Amino acid sequence: MHADTVIFSARKIVTMNPSRPLATHVAVCDGRVVAVGGLDEIGGDGATLDDRFKDKVLLPGFVEGHSHIMEGMMWTLPYVGAFDRRSPEGKLVEGLPDIEAIVARLQEAEAAMTDPDAPLYAWGFDPLHIGSVSLTRQDLDRVTTTRPIMVVHASFHISNVNTLVLKRAELDRTTNISGVVFGTDGEPSGEVQGIAARFRVFRVLGSNPLSGNLTIDDVNRYAASACVQGVTTITDLHNDLADQTVEVYRAASRRDDFSVRLVPALASVSHTPEQAVAKLAVLKATNNDKLHYGIVKLVVDGSIQGFTARLRWPGYHNGAPNGLWYIAPEELPVIVEAYHRAGIQLHIHTNGDEATEVAIDAVEAAQMAAPRPDHRHTLQHCQMADAAQFRRMKALGLCVNLFANHVYYWGDSHYDLTMGPERAHRLDATGTAQRIGVPYAIHSDAPVTPLSPLFTAWCAVNRISSGGRELGKATEALTVQQALAAITITAAYTLKMDHLVGSIETGKYADFAVLEEDPFDVAPEAIKDIAVWGTVVGGRVREAPRA
Amino acid sequence: MTGKPPTIPVTVVGGFLGAGKTTYLNHLLRTGRSRYAVLVNDFGAVNIDAGLIAKHDGTTMTLTNGCVCCSIGGGFLETLGRILDEKIPFDHIIIEASGVGDPWRIAEIALVEPSLRLNAVIVLADATRIAALLADPRVGDTVRNQFERCDLVLLNKTDLTDANATREASAAVAALRDGTKIVETSEYTMPGLPQAGRKATSPFRADAVPDVADHEQRFKRWQYRRRGAFDRAPLETALRALPPQLLRLKGHCTFAGDSGPSLLQMVGGDWSLTPVEAAERDILLVGVGTDDLPDPAVLDRILDRALATPPAFDHHGGIQSPAISIPSREGQIPCR
Repeated sequence: MHADTVIFSARKIVTMNPSRPLATHVAVCDGRVVAVGGLDEIGGDGATLDDRFKDKVLLPGFVEGHSHIMEGMMWTLPYVGAFDRRSPEGKLVEGLPDIEAIVARLQEAEAAMTDPDAPLYAWGFDPLHIGSVSLTRQDLDRVTTTRPIMVVHASFHISNVNTLVLKRAELDRTTNISGVVFGTDGEPSGEVQGIAARFRVFRVLGSNPLSGNLTIDDVNRYAASACVQGVTTITDLHNDLADQTVEVYRAASRRDDFSVRLVPALASVSHTPEQAVAKLAVLKATNNDKLHYGIVKLVVDGSIQGFTARLRWPGYHNGAPNGLWYIAPEELPVIVEAYHRAGIQLHIHTNGDEATEVAIDAVEAAQMAAPRPDHRHTLQHCQMADAAQFRRMKALGLCVNLFANHVYYWGDSHYDLTMGPERAHRLDATGTAQRIGVPYAIHSDAPVTPLSPLFTAWCAVNRISSGGRELGKATEALTVQQALAAITITAAYTLKMDHLVGSIETGKYADFAVLEEDPFDVAPEAIKDIAVWGTVVGGRVREAPRA
Repeated sequence: MTGKPPTIPVTVVGGFLGAGKTTYLNHLLRTGRSRYAVLVNDFGAVNIDAGLIAKHDGTTMTLTNGCVCCSIGGGFLETLGRILDEKIPFDHIIIEASGVGDPWRIAEIALVEPSLRLNAVIVLADATRIAALLADPRVGDTVRNQFERCDLVLLNKTDLTDANATREASAAVAALRDGTKIVETSEYTMPGLPQAGRKATSPFRADAVPDVADHEQRFKRWQYRRRGAFDRAPLETALRALPPQLLRLKGHCTFAGDSGPSLLQMVGGDWSLTPVEAAERDILLVGVGTDDLPDPAVLDRILDRALATPPAFDHHGGIQSPAISIPSREGQIPCR
């Protein structure tokens, strides 16, 4: 064996390679796996034996097939959501159950600020998670009346501001636009949404904290979060890929100690297909081991819990009007065909089942016009698809990446408000995908929900809402084996990277998730609680930070 | 209030895909008499004669008439912010809403941004299909919403509909809500910007395009159809020889020795050729000109000089006669 070869021993290696599912040793050279098995099989003359993982369990490094670089940008700001989250530093940031706790955390953050005029931004709030209680300007005024405050909701579409911001923006009782919500006193409540209110608020704040230039620190925080969660391949599934971003990605990914493989998707909305195809050709030439350009993201509709997803008849359970098209149904086939002909793999956001139908129609038309084997276009979220739609996906060679975390975070809202009981039970129908044979992954959409593939797998296995209601447990739940495949090898398949990552197998990158426990040994309800020791990326060991 | 700087009027231009928003914005840019800032979604579709462009940096185009056209691609809020921060304020800001967007949501910016005031929300409707769009189960609600709060509807492409169809389209839009102002337009009869406060009977100010907005303009159409193919170099000569009364020429043709058909588009003296997928292997061009456009036979002869082979006889046994002023537009290539 080559002298640079390192053989890692482990309590157990779950390879996700069906022809050799379990092992105790893996030999690594030049960043790749040279052999997997028992020490006696591998041999190992001349190699270095590394037994630091002898009490740990190795899995293929997790593949997060749908998340966003914004996860790396948010953590400079205080988190005020209802659920626990782990920061890039490995710190458990506790969820906040009520307004009092939110105000207290904001007060703490405010006290730590040195510039008296700088705005205080926070993120992660969702009234649906604290009993539909609003965060008012009066609540925020208790934090400060001299510094602007803006709390961005988990959805990223709605914000709450303090009275100072409203005053500066000249939003008052005479304001008559749709995005400014009023309190019982007839004055704006501080909740603002929509393009006009956002524009005005960002004008007076001087900046939009979410649209600043990306920095190398943001990317490194993203990579650190990945390490903390055992993720070794991560997407940034909607990005304009402006020159500045491209430069930051290039610089970050070329460092030897950069600890994740990054897969950005070019946002179709900011380019014509012709421009995008040309741009991707240039970008792909700069790909390296840890930077993989090539895919394109289309967004067809909005979100279900925001009532902006496009639903087929009978629409929203509570009678809300149908949602919004972000791409017109007649335009989608034109765009899809252009990319399809250019050989590009598409990731198509469709939340509602009407949007899913239009996307399936578009791919079908493209396949008729220009048949292309193994295109692997992937429907992203695809939360409301029924069995008939999955059968069409199967016939057309589509993949799907289902938003399993939704079952936990918004399952109760879907049951009560958006979809009603029957459709809520087949929300993110992993079981249907499995039965029909559509290749499927599961995802977090971080920072919308927390980055944590083990948690996502737990959602798909247990299918229980945050309110404690089981949704489609008997029909749509995955086995542990299936759920682990959906965060490793199949997620890699949806990114056309299954020849490189997603299993521990000779020839592939030596990317591992290092766990303290065996997911097959713990109770299915405990999968999310398995501690992640860290990762190995290209043979390079990285212990997750713990704060 | 005194001491406040004057506010900049904002006009939002909405309408579903294909309604003619870009055509209208192109028209406003070309004919702008004061300094307009025009924010558009699809920068590539903006079609301004090169001679009118003073500067072009990829996301912003400055015209010789002082107007500026910006791509929204880099982020709408950022782009609009940049426009407001210009040292010399623009005379008017015109914003194109997306084809599936609600223009009123954008108009609201002018209601809350103190440096702006709302001039008008203009929604274009394609007369050839607005009734069908409004009834469409998938996009009907999206399209109806666009008209909800508009000040003016430009019922466009009425040159492609007969009187009956135009009436029906107009009625479908009028039925959406009371008091909707509807003006019939076509690609060649685009109005200028309406000025808030003007009487409803003459919503448009004098426009740089003569004789277009104020009375029923008469246009002549010319159709050129031939079997066979052009030779490239002679075609260039022939196109240059066409008279200035021909405003536009569009259609497809093939070239001797080439494998596939090409789309020919000519506006003014500028023309372009792009390969297209089309079953049609012959030459079919449709021209539009002012009503002093020379006789079709004269125009035919100019293009015939570019044919690779002598004019072919069609299956009726004669040279296909060029048609003008076809009352029904069936079978024609829409001129856009």
